This record gives sequence, structure tokens and C-alpha cells, in this order.
Amino acid sequence: MYEAVHAHPDSESTVARHAATAARYGYAGLVVRTRDALDPADSSPSTADPEVDDPAIDDSETSAPEVDPTRGPARDPDALSEEYGIDVVHAVEIDADDPSSASGAVGNYRPDRTVVCLAGGDDRLNRFAVEEPRVDVLARPMVGDGDVNHVLAKAARDNGVHVEFDLGPLLRNTGGRRVRALADLRKLREIVTYYDAPHVVSANAGSHLELRAPRELVAAAEAVGFDAEWVRDGLRAWGEIAARNRERRSEAFIEPGVRRGRYEEDG
Amino acid sequence: MKHLPKHLRPRWRYLAVGIETWPNATLDRRSFQRALWYSAGNLLGDAGSADVDLTLLSFSHGTGTGEAVVRARREHVAEARAAVACVSEVDGDPVGIHVRGISGTVRACEERYMGRAGATSTQRDVAFGDAERPAVVRADACDVRTESGYVGATTFDTE
Repeated sequence: MYEAVHAHPDSESTVARHAATAARYGYAGLVVRTRDALDPADSSPSTADPEVDDPAIDDSETSAPEVDPTRGPARDPDALSEEYGIDVVHAVEIDADDPSSASGAVGNYRPDRTVVCLAGGDDRLNRFAVEEPRVDVLARPMVGDGDVNHVLAKAARDNGVHVEFDLGPLLRNTGGRRVRALADLRKLREIVTYYDAPHVVSANAGSHLELRAPRELVAAAEAVGFDAEWVRDGLRAWGEIAARNRERRSEAFIEPGVRRGRYEEDG
Repeated sequence: MKHLPKHLRPRWRYLAVGIETWPNATLDRRSFQRALWYSAGNLLGDAGSADVDLTLLSFSHGTGTGEAVVRARREHVAEARAAVACVSEVDGDPVGIHVRGISGTVRACEERYMGRAGATSTQRDVAFGDAERPAVVRADACDVRTESGYVGATTFDTE
């Protein structure tokens, strides 16, 4: 099972600490949603900068000046995976103001990130995300005044966009805010399961202290009416997305169902 | 009062709970027990929380790490696990919490899952980001103090 986290500089724990904790808790993989937490895996350290699109570089330098500029092993997903025995997936969570800037960001990040999430919470953004097959996950669709209906659920199913169920409020909020969040989760669950749209489950951990082991997540979700196996499917779905996208980005991949075989070398 | 015949005694399960905090947090037994009860009460309601009957049997907490044995009724272990998972802070200090395992006796619980805290913590300066910063290092874990509070890192980050 996989978990998707926010890492330093976006949160209080580095990718390595998240990875160490998640490995201890029994996760097989860790999806890092934070844009600036890792270096691109497939480019060497010296050439990393020119290959990445310009807006990302500009943002990372202006918004987070204290970020480690040196490119050490702690920013390399492969080195982290090897050190902690957990699959570290290089992802991004796009938090855009409107669909047109979201569209630009999706185009920018899709080539070099394994998983692309788009933070919802606004009707237009939710709609954009579920209608865009290049988006893997619509994150937190119900926060703020965001809403999901049957139209969006059908679009999500047709485009293979996974709808995220954020268990963060269940674990960390109390009182009225938790009640509202749970009511939203229930509504979302009813719509998504009816149309059989793909889903992912996450605790949206902002630090290693907010991580919870898979069995705890399942137990907590079960206590508020989720089906245990359905929650486990949601945790596994992160890994399935990562595996599918890695295969698509591999050199042998041509299109779904068509792979470059070993006889190609002759010609 | 005379104790109950064996078939009427409640069956218990003992949850070994691992706790992690920032190094400046100080938790005590009472506040942790209260956090557990509040969590169970809020998640399961009064009725559910009475069924689970979460009781803290032993508790210890040092710099940034701790452990506890929590007793729950055998038939309600899943709810107990859920209530434990929903403890996100104790007295305002955020806690990471993890059920290491469940046993049928306190002794098995302690022998199998407790006493792992072993590694002692030391305070030293580490290179993090572009500066030397004070940090509390405990085995692989390394909590670095920055202007905006602690940052959880590992020795892998600071090499």
C-alpha cells in the first residue's frame, strides 16, 4: 500500500523522514506531492536545471529561498528508495487558481513527474481535473466550496482520474469541522461508488507525526462507514498509478498495448 | 467484592502503542489517557466508547518518543485501533501514533512489542539546508530546530 504525503519545504518533515516512518509503518511506497522536495530522477544533477520548465524554477527560488540548493542523495528518489526500502514516487500536487493556469501546469509537469495530482476544492477546478486524462488524481475535491456531482463522477470514470478521499480531517479535526468533513466524505463516497469512478485514499500527512499505518487508516475509516477493502484498494491505487505511469514513460512503451520488443534492434 | 467466575469476566486485548513527538514535547500519563478518551468519545460516541473501554495501563515518554500499553475489550479491537489512530495531539503537542501489535496478555504485549526505545538522543549541530542548526538526534531520526519550529529529518538528510 502507498501513502501520499507533503514534504519539506511544504511541510515539517523531509522526504527521508517520511520514508523512514512510512517504511516502519508497513507501507510499500510513498508518493511525494510536494513540488520542490525531490530532484528529477532521470536527469543528472548538473543538467537538472535547464531541463525543468522555467516556471517551476522561478517559483522554487522565490517562494522557498531556504531550500537546500545542493543536490544531495536526500533529494534523489532512487537513493531514498534504496536507503529506506520503500518506493519513493516523484509526484506533484498542482494548486492553481483557475483552469487555464492549471492546464499550463499540468502540461509542464506531466513529462517529468510520475504522478500528477490537482488540488480541487473549486467547482471549475474539479470539473477541469476530471475532464483531463493527463491528471492522475483530483485531490481534496470537497474542501472549501468545492462539490462533486454525477456529471463529474462519470467524467472521472471515463478519463481515469482518481478521486481522492482525504482522511486528514477524520484524524486531525474535531467537532463541527470534522462533522462537515465527514458529511462531505460520505456524499463523495456515495457518488463515486455508484458510478464506479476510480479512487485513492490518503491521510494527507503534513509531517511524519501525521502519518498513520495502513491498518489504523482502515480502522478509522471503517468507524465512519467506509468499507475496509475499499479503503485498502484506495491505498493500493497510488501504487497502481505509479506503476502504470512508469511503464508509459519507459522507452519500450509506444501506446497502450504496443511495446517495443526485443526484435526491434535488428532493423 | 468476590471476583467474577471466569466465563463472566471481560476478555481483554492489550494494544502496544508507539508514540512519537517533537523533542520539546512533554507528555504525561494523565494527559495521554485523557486524549485517548476524548478521541474515543468523539469518534465512537459515549456508547461506543464505553464498549471499547480504553484504559491506559502503562505509559512512558522520553525525548521525542514513547510507548504505552492500552487495554480494550476483545470484541472491539477495531474500534480501539480507530480511536488510537485519531489521537493527533496531546495537550497541544502533535503526536505520531502507531499500534505496534496486539496481545492477549500484558506480559506478552510487553515482551514482544515494548522496550524498543533503546536509542538515546543527543543534541548536536547538523548541516541542514544551507546552515548549521541545532538538532536532536535519535538513531536515524533527526529533529532540526529552525526559525519556524522543528523540522523532521533523518541522518540521511544531514550528511
